[in-house]
Amino acid sequence: MDRRQFLAVTATSALVAGLPAAFNLHALAQPDLLPILGPEAVREIGLRYRELMPAENQMRALHAVILAARPWSARVPWLAGPSIGAMVAEDFAAGRTIVLQGWVLSTTEARQSALYSMLAD
Amino acid sequence: MHIDARTLPNGSVLEADLCIVGAGAAGISMALEWIGSPRTVLLLEGGGLEYEPAMQDLYRGEIVGLPYYPLQAARLHYFGGTTGHWAGFCSTLDPIDFDKRDWVPHSGWPLRREELDPFYARAQPLLELGPYEYAAGDWQRRDPTLVPLPLDPRVMWTKMWQFSPPTRFGARYRDAVIGARNVHLYTHANVCELEANESLGAIEGLRLRTLDGKEHRARARYYVLACCSIQNARLLLASNRRTPTGLGNAHDLVGRFFMEHLEIPGGHLALAPSGAVNTKLYAFEFGQTKARGELALSAAVQRERRILNGTVSLEPGAPGEVAKSTFQWGTPERLAALRKWQANGKVGPPPDGLPEPAPAGAPRFFHLVTRQEQAPNPDSRVLLSTERDALDMPRAKLAWRLTELDRRSFRVFYEVMGRELGRSGVGRVQLLDWVRRDDGAWPGTLSGGWHHMGTTRMHDNPHFGVVDANCRVHGLDNLFVAGASVYPTGGAANPTLTLVALSLRLSDHLKQTLA
Repeated sequence: MDRRQFLAVTATSALVAGLPAAFNLHALAQPDLLPILGPEAVREIGLRYRELMPAENQMRALHAVILAARPWSARVPWLAGPSIGAMVAEDFAAGRTIVLQGWVLSTTEARQSALYSMLAD
Repeated sequence: MHIDARTLPNGSVLEADLCIVGAGAAGISMALEWIGSPRTVLLLEGGGLEYEPAMQDLYRGEIVGLPYYPLQAARLHYFGGTTGHWAGFCSTLDPIDFDKRDWVPHSGWPLRREELDPFYARAQPLLELGPYEYAAGDWQRRDPTLVPLPLDPRVMWTKMWQFSPPTRFGARYRDAVIGARNVHLYTHANVCELEANESLGAIEGLRLRTLDGKEHRARARYYVLACCSIQNARLLLASNRRTPTGLGNAHDLVGRFFMEHLEIPGGHLALAPSGAVNTKLYAFEFGQTKARGELALSAAVQRERRILNGTVSLEPGAPGEVAKSTFQWGTPERLAALRKWQANGKVGPPPDGLPEPAPAGAPRFFHLVTRQEQAPNPDSRVLLSTERDALDMPRAKLAWRLTELDRRSFRVFYEVMGRELGRSGVGRVQLLDWVRRDDGAWPGTLSGGWHHMGTTRMHDNPHFGVVDANCRVHGLDNLFVAGASVYPTGGAANPTLTLVALSLRLSDHLKQTLA
């Protein structure tokens, strides 16, 4: 991570202080896809997502859209919201999927992969 | 009783109550049903008791339309027929396969699945299969380690296959057939023409030829064509002495609606790391596995997405590895090597190219190999070639053609499967490039499963089918058809179990008729 990325991560993390640990930037940038497909495939998926979604090709934007995709219950501090894994499963169930590098992925994990690719680079 | 037709005096006339043309799975299944009955049965086989290149050459044909496998290598022309090299995959058609589906033109059987159930159960022992149980739960009860994937049954389910040893009908039933006093097996007896009466309402006899130039006739009260889909159509079309379009072809249907199962790799599955996913139920080892599951879409999803039926098998592999289609691994050379290896008692390593046994340990990466029904298509058809064979019969010409529905069904299947396997936590699905593309093109791996179906399709209305629900050719009182050529649609199951079941059903019908 270079200085610019470090500052971006720090700034993004500061913006979302108080989030459950599972939703902090570093945790989100470790999708469950990693042990399934391996780091190189996940990085390529992330790069492809960023190419297709230029509006989300920033750490803050990606983090924001992932958080915004949470159901309302996850945004109420005293309610236990869904885990990121549950969000991924819900994406699949609701058809919020995207095909990247041929893989059928949930939108959330595709964004996580994009975050991963940013941090990996 | 067995007689080689070449040993008969020229011009011999063979007579019986029932004449079955073709001694493959359908013909032998029927003949066995008649052993010990008071009726006499002629079982006419064009080939000999063993494989002979000269007889096999009679099956050579012309390929137009989509590329297809050499016809003389796709079917075997000797006693036992293509069971001489089949792999033994057996499953039932699904209830939806019998339905008229408004999104599948020309679909619908004049039968319900329930009507076939008792015949499926009777067919099981003939194919040396296990109990008539095709629910994954049945197999899990027998072996608790065979666990179906945790799929939402509203979306996907595990369709079960059972595996015949595989039964080589020629070897397995030769003694029974030859030892039967009322079943007269004639080998090297190639039927070249069905002779209709003047009114074209019944068959009067069959004209038989041998490669050494003899010609005989066969006469019976009832005739059953059981020569396989291509040859059944060829024989009806070539029987054109009294009617130029051939017999049973008043509505230009004979030979049309040729169908295959599309057997092509379409993607990959990478399993989630959770140890909870057990794929043992889906594993297959040739000659060892008794039953296995494949992944199928529910009838509700097929209806909602307006797609064809199909299944996907899980074949262990590795990322970056390119899976082969059925036609790619089963080249004529490999199949010949396989026959030789089997004939020699399977001594030594199997021929190169046989499906490999699953690697040791639990695989985490799979090739997804589809077996999908083909939409009935009147332009996919068997015709007569201008070329003639050594018996002066026109050779078959195959025009295999697919539709946009076949192609779209493939893509939708993989998309739905990708979502469901992701939702259930099983893993992630990758679609191959050609599956994702919208250009309608088929890949170089396009392949069938050597499953020939549909050229004499079944329908109650003679305007839409060649045979009726009892497999009788419309308009001909005493001519019936056995085999997969009568299928109006092919479902996702390999055809053999169903064609044996239908043959037993036809046999019962003829017994009642003759009684």
